[in-house]
Order: sequence, then C-alpha cells, then structure tokens
Amino acid sequence: MAERLGNRLHQLRAERGLTQAALAERVEVSRKTINTVENGIFVPSTILSLKIARTLELPVEEIFSLEG
Amino acid sequence: MTDYETADRLTRRRARIFPLLAAMFVVQQATFFVGRIEDGTRTVDQVKISAWLVLSIVLLLVLATGGSWFKSAKVRALMNDDVTRANRAEAFRVGFLATMIGAIGLYFVSMFENFGGRDAIHILMTIGIAAALLRFGFLERQALRDG
Repeated sequence: MAERLGNRLHQLRAERGLTQAALAERVEVSRKTINTVENGIFVPSTILSLKIARTLELPVEEIFSLEG
Repeated sequence: MTDYETADRLTRRRARIFPLLAAMFVVQQATFFVGRIEDGTRTVDQVKISAWLVLSIVLLLVLATGGSWFKSAKVRALMNDDVTRANRAEAFRVGFLATMIGAIGLYFVSMFENFGGRDAIHILMTIGIAAALLRFGFLERQALRDG
C-alpha cells in the first residue's frame, strides 16, 4: 500500500503569520525547500523535519503524519 | 539583500538557464556533426573538439556542484540544500538511463553503419549531459512553483 507523508505546515505557518521565506530563514533552508515540503513534492529528511518542528515549537507528529 | 534572498534569486535563474544550456549544447553538437571532422588533425577541428570538451566539462561541473562558484559558502549551501540534492540525484539517474539507452541504440546502428569511437563518445556524452540538465531544470522549476 502506498503511504504518503501529509503535513500541516502551510496552516501552521499561516497561523504564525510567517511567509515561506521567513520560515525558511528561521529553519536555515531555502524557500524552495519549505515550498516543496508544504506542497508534498519533497519528503523531508528526519533532520529537516526536526528542525522545522523545533522552529515551530511543536512535536514533529503535529506537523507531519502518514496518510493513505 | 540577504543570503536567503540571493540564494532564491540565483536558484530561480539556474532553473531557467539549465534547459536553455541543454538546448544550446545539443544545437552545438548538431553543428559539430554537420561540419564533420575526419581525422581531427586540422587546427580548426582541434578547436572544435576542444570547445566541445570544455563545454561538456563545464556543464558537468555546474550540474554536479550547482554552479555559483564565486558566491559565499552560505549562499552555495542554500542553493544546494536537501531538495536540490534530491533533484540532482534524480537528474543523474535520468542522464545515466538516457546514456545507456543511447549506447544500446548506437550498438544496433553500428551493425549497419561504421562510425568512430570519438563520434560514439560524443553522441553518448551529449545525450547524457543534455538529459540530466533538462531533468534538473524541470525539477527545479517544479520545486520553485508556488503551491
């Protein structure tokens, strides 16, 4: 069964009033990376997922979940 | 302009330029085969061969390293982050497959037509580099496209 990684990054970022560029700067990655993760094009590494979670001050499972 | 903005601008430019470079590269090879080089001993032929080889090496290096060699380490790191590395790996995979398919094709063509080893290398390198450049450019543009 094909599972995919769902995420609430767009919603969580918007709730904090952050642009993709602003979040990217805080996570220390490119805006392109945030964009591709949000859109489900790119499945982030564990390190990147943890960095995003740390920046948003949330447990990683509140941002990412398995779907399908 | 911050390092992040600079990296974003250069990444967009790279995504636009790579497919154009691939097209230019293929067109250059077409002109190479139209003005066919027989033994490669004439100066003009040596210049042509050198130009092709230098361009091939530069394109390979740009593809492998992401280019922007004279930018700061921070900008280069941002331009070659996780997504770019994944896109590059996929581009190299496509380039390798295209080269192998080209080699199989040339193997069959060689049964009916004689051509030199230099021509075969030339064709295979062109196919591989152009396919990888096109794929990388496509993936980067897709990654930059807003939601």
